[in-house]
Amino acid sequence: MKRLLPRLLLGLPAVALLTLFFVLPYVEMVAMSFRAPAFGQPFGSGHTLMHYGRALGDPLYTGALVRSLLTGALITALCLLVSFPLALHLSRLQGRWHVVFYACIVSPLLIGVLVRNFGWMVLVAVDGPFNRWAMAAGLIERPVRVLFTQGIVVMALVHVFTPFMVLPIATALRNVRPELREASASLGAGAFETFRRVTLPLSFPGVQAGVTLVFVLSVAAYVTPALLGGQGIAYMPAVVVRELIGSFAWPFGAALAVIMAASTLAVVTVFTLATHRLAERTRA
Amino acid sequence: MSRALSAAVLGVIYAFLLLPLVAVVAASLTAGELMRVPPEGLSLKWFQRFLASETFREALLLSLQVALTTVVVTVVLATLAALCHRALSRRLAASFRLAMTLPLLLPELLTAIGLLFFLNSIGLGKTLTGLQVAHVVIAFPFAFLAIVAALEQVDPAMEEASASLGAGGFETFRRVLLPLARPGMLTGGLFAFIVSFDMFTISLLLKPVGGNTLPLALFDFLTYDFDPTAAAAATLSVLFAVIGVVAIERMVGLRRAF
Repeated sequence: MKRLLPRLLLGLPAVALLTLFFVLPYVEMVAMSFRAPAFGQPFGSGHTLMHYGRALGDPLYTGALVRSLLTGALITALCLLVSFPLALHLSRLQGRWHVVFYACIVSPLLIGVLVRNFGWMVLVAVDGPFNRWAMAAGLIERPVRVLFTQGIVVMALVHVFTPFMVLPIATALRNVRPELREASASLGAGAFETFRRVTLPLSFPGVQAGVTLVFVLSVAAYVTPALLGGQGIAYMPAVVVRELIGSFAWPFGAALAVIMAASTLAVVTVFTLATHRLAERTRA
Repeated sequence: MSRALSAAVLGVIYAFLLLPLVAVVAASLTAGELMRVPPEGLSLKWFQRFLASETFREALLLSLQVALTTVVVTVVLATLAALCHRALSRRLAASFRLAMTLPLLLPELLTAIGLLFFLNSIGLGKTLTGLQVAHVVIAFPFAFLAIVAALEQVDPAMEEASASLGAGGFETFRRVLLPLARPGMLTGGLFAFIVSFDMFTISLLLKPVGGNTLPLALFDFLTYDFDPTAAAAATLSVLFAVIGVVAIERMVGLRRAF
């Protein structure tokens, strides 16, 4: 036992790093949102609540916030739709094929968001392959401009966040023992019935984790709307960055960021409470 | 019938996942003057133009420098933290693990904003050191998880055997744990490199004056130009990821690393 203490001390540098450069910055962000504004410098002395009043009273900001939350919910729902079949597929594979398909799903995680978005730019460009294939197939008469629309932003973000949804669901599905499905089938349930009453409820903890993670990340996504969304549609992250870098208004930008984080947290809390019953049922 | 349908649905979803990446690589290999998929003839000339561009070359060098420093610092810190994690009781270990992975679970944008204010308040605003520290914070959880996963494969009986044969704590670490943890450390290092090399939002808010990393340079380029030089820059990221996945599968198995 006397060797335990030195082992615990090994964790100190990492704890110090994260306390100093992760926890304190979040504290600083909240503190900044109460600072007074100033001309010619990012913030002044003194404290005020005015930034919250300004942000919550202006439809420009509340509109961007609501748009970000709704788009985040849409992205999360679409991610779930795409990810469940993938997770099911993974959970039924063995050996070499499992590794190959697993690699297909996780390798996009190792490629930057910017690069993956750029791939969509290439595919949907006016003279890009999608337009040419669709024209060749007679689906459209002239090229469609998809870039700088809300649709492509949503699609690219679903693409970015799908692995975050697949991994927790696949982990949960691995815990659903095949005997349970067999038992359900032998009791006369059809494939869909078995899926709805056995597989789906038992994998629910994974769904809950994936939904929470994807929603949190998609509400705060900055790069994709900035690159693929053009100037037309204002999402909250772009508004925050413009205040911080463009207008150099740090306290106001901080207040907007805190409002965005707090509303995301509120939605996640409501979701967790609302699905509490379902999750409890699986654990029992 | 339903088998064919589900195969078709899966095919579409896998195509959705992989097509954008294939498009990037394909566009970079064109011999023509325009961004084309499938490419018009094959050549490596856009990679030459990418390396000939001073903006891209300087950005690439800065990115490599920051990423390599991130690897060294992150792997050392994460290895120490993973050893500490191993010594904790089950309950404590779960909380410790959650705390150590927080930078991965919270949005990069929020962390970047907090760091922008905090680094400024301690006099590191708009400096390379500040940017470097931020990269380490974001890359840390990836390395930590990989090393923890590798150490979980080590039977505690090995350490006990080593101790009972008279080896001290450091001796046991050096001769038993370190060799067994090495694949995890390599994997963690790879993760840290790739995460840092591709990091965008953190770098956008915290970059030193006049210092662009490669993703920032690529973003700037894409707002004005759309030629295959961008595809060549992006293909570098895809290449690193492919090398990473293959290496990780060889060393520890993908399943354990994620």
